Parts: sequence; structure tokens; C-alpha cells
Amino acid sequence: MALAIRFALFGCTNRPFFHIVVMEKRRAQRSGKIKEMIGSYDPMPNQDNQKLVAVDFQKLQKWLGFGAVPTKHVAELLGLGGFYPIHPMSYIKAKRKRKLMEKQPADMQAKEETQETAAIQVNEDTQPDSTEDASQ
Amino acid sequence: MAASMKCAWARCLSTILLNSTKHRCQISQPLYASCSNISGDSGEGGTDQTRQEAGPADDTKKHRRDPGKAFTDVRVQKILLRLTGLDLDKVYEYRAAKGAGVAKVALMSDQQLKKVYESASYKALRKLQMPPVLGAREPIDEVLSEDPELEGLNTSKLVFIDISQRVPLKKRTIVVREPNGTLRKASWEERDVTLQKYFPQSGRKIGLPRMFQQDNLECMLDDGKHEYILNRACSQFEIDDPEYIRVTQRTYEHIDGNGKFEDLRSTRHFGPMIFYFTYYKKIDKLLVAFLEEESLEDSLDLVKLYHIVHPSCKSAEKVASMPDATPLEIIRAFAEMDATQKSLVQQAIQTYEKECDSTGSTQLRR
Repeated sequence: MALAIRFALFGCTNRPFFHIVVMEKRRAQRSGKIKEMIGSYDPMPNQDNQKLVAVDFQKLQKWLGFGAVPTKHVAELLGLGGFYPIHPMSYIKAKRKRKLMEKQPADMQAKEETQETAAIQVNEDTQPDSTEDASQ
Repeated sequence: MAASMKCAWARCLSTILLNSTKHRCQISQPLYASCSNISGDSGEGGTDQTRQEAGPADDTKKHRRDPGKAFTDVRVQKILLRLTGLDLDKVYEYRAAKGAGVAKVALMSDQQLKKVYESASYKALRKLQMPPVLGAREPIDEVLSEDPELEGLNTSKLVFIDISQRVPLKKRTIVVREPNGTLRKASWEERDVTLQKYFPQSGRKIGLPRMFQQDNLECMLDDGKHEYILNRACSQFEIDDPEYIRVTQRTYEHIDGNGKFEDLRSTRHFGPMIFYFTYYKKIDKLLVAFLEEESLEDSLDLVKLYHIVHPSCKSAEKVASMPDATPLEIIRAFAEMDATQKSLVQQAIQTYEKECDSTGSTQLRR
């Protein structure tokens, strides 16, 4: 089984909240088999238009030392935070959004972001992902 | 008259405790070490080196922004502690607050009572530990990375905080990824708010409490709640926060305007208040207040403090040239040369002399 640094979706309907955890990659995120919780990510912006990300970098480095692998979205987030180099998907997504912005009004961008959150939720479920199998 | 007797007793007690071997006049090292504005002076033990290094030169912009160096001078600290005094009744006054217990009643011998008084006095000195007076902190302006190709990825900022264990709050890394792709260190305001969210400190609110907004602050000051405002400011803000400096300085100015200096006597804010007036050369009303309560020691201490903080002022040089000057002569020299409200101070000195002549004692009261 692969040890991963991944998001675990908590929160409730229409209010997602992710814990950044160390657990087996294929496990259900709410199975209670989390090895360690090393942070959180709140995808909904607060009153100051901020999305808060907290990471215990010491623990993160320790688990990376044990061979844990961050998932795509966690790696993207850490790239944006400066821990990793920026993920190529961040550049690609940014470019796609800029293209859309030229064609469509600003409120479409918010829609893109909720779709992004949904994408994270889908990825972190136990459903097998063909691209990830290939990379393993 | 009764007030001045009480002050004299409080002063005595404070001096005895300060001079005793059990208690060393020691500036709290962790507190001062955490204040990034202060350079590496430990401020401990009045060595000659410390005396030469500390104490600002007059009228330099640098020192106007950094009173911390002068404040941590051991001589300044000793004078401020002496002036603050130690009124046990005031320090241990009942405050309706969480954790305020019911008073205990015990039957004790004289010896036991003496011991309890002693330990209570030492604990009271710790309660009188002064919040440092520092210059406003420099804004954080560091950009870690520019990535304009990330423009459009997010419409909101991403704030990253490091929640590793056992890292001092001031050293915690907090960075912000802007929507335009810039990765920068978080500003002081962002830091304060984010740290309060993840590492909440009791007594602090996220954002500015309404009490500290200008209009509300004025209402509180007019109600005479100086000590409450200063205590709350101390728990809400960092001491080098421009907001803290604004609130405390406004409070001191209000006290100066109304002459209510004694409200803060024997609290931990008395020292910083006196230091504020001395640093910004506004001690005239304070000096007059001390003379009016016929406390020559306090007046002398204040002038001495002025000479330490502003060593190149005219009266300091004159006093240095007269080693056998009496207290009144030193105060007079200050009044003639450095007082901004000369006539007020000189009148107060004259009144004091008349009072002393009438009561028949011109010597320094101990």
C-alpha cells in the first residue's frame, strides 16, 4: 500500500474543508485510519478574501523521509506555498482560466473554482484513477 | 498630605525590596529578547560598557523611532521601579474577573504574618513588571518569488502558515500567494490575525476591538478608565504594534491633560508613562504634580531620569559640573534650562519651598 500525503475531506454539504493527512492512498478518507494529521486547507475564502492553509512542515518532512508521496493536489498547493517548485498543472490551469476570462465574464471564474474543489473531492475518494495507476 | 505619606511608604517598601539580596533588579530576559527592535544589550548589571552604549543622543531621528534602547538601561529601570512604588492594597485590589477567588482568612503568629507579607511583596513586584516602550515596528516588505504566469489561477489570496511545534510566535513563517502570482511574506497585520486564529492567546480578539477606535477610546478616557485601557491594550496588541503605541500615547496624553498621574501609581503602567513623558520631553506637569504632593525624592528621580535619557541637555551638563548640588538645586537647574513650561515649574518649586519652611524641614525626607 502506498503511503500518501493527501487531502481528507471533512466539513458538510456546500461547505468543504480539507485536512492534510498522512494515510494510505487508497483508503476512504473518513475511515478513521489516518496515520497523522499535518495540516488543513480551507478552500472557501474568508472575509479578507484569503484561503487559509496550515502545514506542519516538520512533520511533512519527516513523513516524506518515510517515503510518503503527496498527491497531485497537495503537491500543487505546496508548490503555491513555496515548499515545492510550482506544479506544471498550476501553470496549465492558470493559462486555461485566463483564456476563459477573455471570452467569459468574471463570475464564471468563481464557477471554475467550485469545480476545482469538486475535482479534489473526486480524486481523494477510493475510486481508482487510471492515470495514477500508470504512474505507480 | 495623607496621599504623600502613603506614596512615601510605598516607595520605601519598593526600595527595600529592590535592594535586598533576594530580588535582583532584572529585566525579564525572555520578554526583551522577543522584542526585535532592541539590539543585543542584555541590560543586566550596570557595567561601564552598558552605560556608554545605552542612552540615546538627542534629536536624532533614529532614536526617536527606537526608545527601546533607553528604556532597557538599568539605571532607567531602577528609577522607574522606584517611582512606581509598591502599594500592596492597590496591587492586590479585588478585581471582578474569572479566577478571582474568595479571600482566605487565617489565624497567624506575627512571624508567620511577616513571612506572608514578604512573599506577597515579592509576588507584587512581579505583577509590576513593566511592558517595554519600543518604537513602532518596521513594515514587512519581502517578496519571495514573482510568478506572473500564475495570474488567473485564484481570485483569492492563499495564506500559508507553518504550524510546526515549539516555534516562537514571532519566528513562525507566514507567507501569502497573491492572485497575481507573487509569493510574499505576510504583513504584520496579517501575521497578528493569522496567529490569533491558529495559536489563540487569551484576552485577544481578531481584528481591532471597537473600544480602541478613536471615538470610543475618547469616551473611555473621559470616563477615567485609564488603567483598564492600558491593561487591555497590553493583552490585545504586541508592544511594538503602531496601534498599541497610538492607544497608550493617547492615554498618557489624556492623563497629562487632566493631571491624573496618581491613577497609575503602583501599577505596571506608571513606569512606561513616566518614560514616555521623559523621552518626548514633556515632564513639566508631572514634575509639578510631584512637587505639589511634596515628594522631593520623586521630583529628583524624575529630573535624574531626564538627564540619563537626554545626557546632552543643558541642565545635565550643568549638574555634572556641580557634584555637591542639593536636590532642590538640581531641580531648579532643570527648571531654568530645560523646562518647556518654565514659569509653571518654577512656581511649583517656590510653593514647595514655602511649604517646607512652614513645616520646618528642608532636608530630603527618607
